[in-house]
Amino acid sequence: MEEGERQSYTEAEKQETFEKEFLPHIHAMYNFGYRLTLDRDDAKDLVQDTYFKSYRFIESFQRGTNAKAWLFRILKNSFINDYRKKTKEPSKVDYQEVEQYYNSDDVNRQITPDLRVDSLKDMIGDEISNALNALDVDFRTVIILCDLEGFKYEEMAKILDIPIGTVRSRLHRARQLLKEKLSEYAKSMGYKNT
Amino acid sequence: MSESTNPFVSASGKSLTCMEMLQLVLDGQATPEQRAYFLTHMDHCKSCFKAYDIDMAIKQLLKDRCCGECPGDLINQIKAQIIQKNS
Repeated sequence: MEEGERQSYTEAEKQETFEKEFLPHIHAMYNFGYRLTLDRDDAKDLVQDTYFKSYRFIESFQRGTNAKAWLFRILKNSFINDYRKKTKEPSKVDYQEVEQYYNSDDVNRQITPDLRVDSLKDMIGDEISNALNALDVDFRTVIILCDLEGFKYEEMAKILDIPIGTVRSRLHRARQLLKEKLSEYAKSMGYKNT
Repeated sequence: MSESTNPFVSASGKSLTCMEMLQLVLDGQATPEQRAYFLTHMDHCKSCFKAYDIDMAIKQLLKDRCCGECPGDLINQIKAQIIQKNS
């Protein structure tokens, strides 16, 4: 839970904060849970658990701060501490390599896989969703937080407990990997490289 | 646009590369001035134009196709759970 000065809430204030500040984010929370677990029942469990914790630990929520970021942080922590330990091995991504690559001169060369906007426009099925789901969960997460939810680097750094520089390099690598996946789909759809 | 008006200058005084500018714009981190500068820059930088076009199309595709709604009964289940566990 977020460290900080504990707030005092009356029962009525708790209810009001929960209803007006926490519950409106339920669709985004469910989508985040689903994209992390890739299972709709597990996503429901994660969201229920997150909302239960948010109510129980509401005194840790600082009034006037970003409720959505606070909730996302709780869900992410529940996913890592409760769900991921039980079901999956830890991430195998070599982040040192990602950082080194991002800070090297190679990164400035355009190595974007050949992909055309035309081929993207024809992806009206599950291609983009499948491509996103195929990424390692840590890369998937930064794409969700930035592109689907519009969080800023600073908010993402707090949600994920990583430095801003790491958010930036991870997002860069995630975008590259997503393009590689989409490029494979485009090829399978008959688009030739240009 | 001249160098002096380039709003993409790091703390050390170094101008950002095309890739670095593009990422700030894509990630929603660019200031309005930086964004305007980059959009003008694309007029004469073909690789930025191409990369921006594709990256923005992917971003839009993600928004259009990867956001969903939670099951209809979930809100009521959560409310019931909280009432039950806190009573």
